[in-house]
Formats: sequence, C-alpha cells, structure tokens
Amino acid sequence: MDDLYRDLIIDHYQHPNHRGSLADGVSANEANLMCGDTLKIMVKMENGKITDAKFEGGGCAISIAAVDMLLDYVKGKRLSDVQKMSGTEIEKMLGVELTPSRKKCAYLGLEVIKKIGL
Amino acid sequence: MNLKRYFPIYKKYPKLAYLDSSATALKPQVVVEAMTDYLSHYSANIHRGLYQMSEQASSAYDETRKLIAEFLGTKDEGEIVFTRGTTEGINLIARTWGETYIKPGDEIVTTQMEHHVNIVPWQVLANKTGAKLRFAKINDHYLISNDQWEQLINKKTKLVAITHESNVLGTINPIAEITAKIKAINPTCVVVVDGAQIVAHQPVNVVELGCDFYVFSGHKMYASTGVGVLWGKRELLEAMPTFMQGGAMIREVGWQETVYAPLPDKFEAGTMPIAEVISLGAAIRFMKSIGWKTIQEQEGKISALVQKRLGEIDGLKIFGPSDLANRGGVFSFAMEGVHAHDIAQILDETGVCVRAGHHCAMPLHGLLKVDSSTRVSVGMYSDEKDIEGLIVGLQQVKKIFYHG
Ligand SMILES: Cc1ncc(COP(=O)(O)O)c(C=O)c1O
Repeated sequence: MDDLYRDLIIDHYQHPNHRGSLADGVSANEANLMCGDTLKIMVKMENGKITDAKFEGGGCAISIAAVDMLLDYVKGKRLSDVQKMSGTEIEKMLGVELTPSRKKCAYLGLEVIKKIGL
Repeated sequence: MNLKRYFPIYKKYPKLAYLDSSATALKPQVVVEAMTDYLSHYSANIHRGLYQMSEQASSAYDETRKLIAEFLGTKDEGEIVFTRGTTEGINLIARTWGETYIKPGDEIVTTQMEHHVNIVPWQVLANKTGAKLRFAKINDHYLISNDQWEQLINKKTKLVAITHESNVLGTINPIAEITAKIKAINPTCVVVVDGAQIVAHQPVNVVELGCDFYVFSGHKMYASTGVGVLWGKRELLEAMPTFMQGGAMIREVGWQETVYAPLPDKFEAGTMPIAEVISLGAAIRFMKSIGWKTIQEQEGKISALVQKRLGEIDGLKIFGPSDLANRGGVFSFAMEGVHAHDIAQILDETGVCVRAGHHCAMPLHGLLKVDSSTRVSVGMYSDEKDIEGLIVGLQQVKKIFYHG
C-alpha cells in the first residue's frame, strides 16, 4: 500500500501538471463505470505531434496520477503512437502492480486518449 | 456480547473488520448448515413429490413462509411471496399492479433518497403509462419533511414508493406516520416500502406500518443471496395479474386458457430457490435466538461509536442525520481531497472492508454534490475492535494524503 500510495503518485494527484483546458485542440471523454468519474482529455497537435495536453474531471489518486504521468509522456509524440500504448506501460509509469479494479482507474486516461479523433 | 463466534468467516479471518453489512450481511454457521443439510440430505423438489424426501423439502420451504409471516406481523401466509430479492419484488409490483392500475395523467411519487431499484422501474412504468414521476425532497438534516407529503400527494397520486431506511444516508423514514398522512389525503393511494436496509436491524410490523406492499432481500439479513420476500395486502395481490407464468403457479391449464393457483403460489412460477428459502428460515430462527434486544443494543452501541469517532476526524463529512434516533447503522462520508476509492483501498490493506462509490444512488450523490462516498455499515457482529481498525485506517489515509 505504501507502495501504491507512494509520494510520486500523491504528488501527481495533488499537484497535477496538466489539469486545465485548451482553447483549441481535439478532445474526448469517458466515464469509469465503477465510480461514475468522468475524464476529459484535450490535445493540441502540430504536424501530427502532440504539443500540449490537458485533462479535466475528477477521479481517485490512481486515475489522476496515471493520466498526469501519461500527459507528461505524450508531449512530442505522435498521437497515433500514443494510441497504440498498452495498459502495462501505464503500470510501468506508475511503478506499481494493480488489482483488477484499480486497473480500470489507472487505464482510464489511456482509454480516453485512444478515443480522440475517432 | 461477542456475536462474531456465530459467524464462521471469523475463524478463517480472525482480524477481519467487515463494515459492509448494508451491501450484504455475513452468514452465521446455522444458515450455512441449514443450506448444506438440504443440499446434502434432502435436495428434492417441493410440492410435487409424494415421496418423503420431497415432503421434507416442502415442509422446510413452507416453514420459512410461516416464520416470515410472523416476522412481519401478518397472520396470512398467502400474503408472503418469495422472490429473488428486493429488486424482483419492486419490479413485480411495477409490472403487475403498476401496469394494470396506473393510467395516463396519474402520479407516482418516490423520494430523493432511493436506491436505483426504487427509481428506475417507476421511470419505466411512468414512461409506459403516461404517468408523472415525482420526488419527495430531503432537507438539510437528510430527512423528508412532513410538508413534502402535503405538497406532493393529491387525488392523482396512485402509488408512493419509499425506502424504510436509506442505504446511503442511514435515514429511517417514519413509515407509519407517512402512510397515515398519505392515506388521509388519498385513501386509495398504494404505498410500497423498500425494507432492504432495515429488516436485519429492527422489528417490522407491516400491519402497524399501514403500507400496502413491503419488500426485502434475504442476503442482507444473514441468509443466502437469491431469495427475497414480497409482502402485499391480500386483496391487492388477488386483484393483480400474474408476473411470470410457468410451473407451480397454475391450477388448471388448457390449450387456450389457464386458471392460476391461489396466493401465494400465483406469484411463485417455476422451481423456486429452495435452498435459499430454507437459509432464510434458518436466518430468522437465528435472529430470534439472538433476540432483538441484543441485536439492537449491540448495533446501537456500535453506531454511536462510529458516529462519534468519524466526527472527530478533521475534514470528514458524514452525509446523514446526526440524531441517532432518526437513523440506522449506515454511515456514508467524504474526506476533503481524498477520493472514496482511495479511502476504501487503504482501509482494505488494514483488513477493513467498506464500500466506495455511489451505492446505487447516483441522483442522491448529485444532490450531495459528490461523485462518490465511502460507506461504513454495521451488523450484529460489529464490535469496538472493528471501529478501532477503521479509525487506524483513516489515520493512515490522513497520513498519506494530508502528510499529517
Ligand atoms: C435500500 C435498498 N433497496 C434495494 C436494494 C437492492 O437489493 P437486492 O440487490 O438484494 O435486490 C438494496 C441493496 O443494495 C438497498 O440497499
């Protein structure tokens, strides 16, 4: 547990780098059916590469930390490459092993980003 | 009084702090044994076998009905219908009584503190029939004010559906008083009560309540999942069409026409969950052997402790009446800056089981202005140690999230 709620995760949860919105860009949103939390992600692109990304919405520490870390990572990457990422990579970013129900929380950000442009 | 010793789960997990009884109650040894005994030694189908083993199964099944009738304070066993649970009971009423008697322009009233099952079937019914669905509001004390009934009930109100105890707020609605108010304005209005959250915690007498239907689930009162009870006034049940059609609920079947069996068989189509009904009988016998006095004293003491200890935590807000006289042992709360899922997960690591989410009451959480809450609920086995564990876990939550 101390592992799951280690400082890095709490830090991203309490002081996310990417909370907010973008005036222009493309977006998608999705709800976590287990808790009803909804997450919206907006990305701005130039030449197919992500130049900026923000998220809005509530969620638990795991889902917020996961989406914030993901948005740290996606800058400069191609959206199409990001959309190919797997849940395992999210777990690697978080650096923890997750129970099945928490995987849903952790993967929410990735699921939303995969919906962008669809 | 240590009631944990009746529940085999504590032999396997002596330190378990199970605080999720409002989702489902733990099962006592005698319930497990009654079910196992049926499944191992006389697992025949009921009512149709002339051999002894079938008679034994039938009599165990019928015995539960007798116990339930007594438990609810009615003499008429024909008014006790076994269902799969509260959910089936409410759906049965909506689909049979509702679809027959609700007409365009009629009004159906429920409340803002209902479980989804006491909202959605009424939405469907209202949409199908052209009736209007209205909601009694909760006030700042998490209660329904008396004036709500005067404002809402009129001659067009055909049905009121209300929970006896809220599975989120813990609020206990004074059903006898409410029913009297409703019937004073409109004597023909039918009152449906969802007893899921209360039947394990205080005696219920349907005659004194003055309602028309009362439904609950076995699994929240120490019996197995898969069985519940619908009580209804005989004249209403008799005037209702059947719900499901099949074996056991008929008297005579022709190619084109069928005569249905009398109550309660009319509503018990097909092979019923016999083992589960037998478990419900065992649960009632078990509760009787412990006695309401012991159950209520123990739960009252622990509920008071939960309320006091939760109240001492900074940044924690309980959604529910502060006066224990108006509530049962269900406590939903939010902690500033911490998501309910994180609270539940940290508590789980310390062996404390609580529920996090919207508890099947999304509209109510909207009113409370939170997406989710953490819920602690007590059963007869809950004790001081469980609450100690809860508080230690919540201090851990504070340490992680508040760095203090
Ligand atoms: C107040 C209330 N009504 C109805 C239900 C539904 O009960 P069941 O799922 O056993 O049908 C519940 C259980 O969650 C409840 O708390």
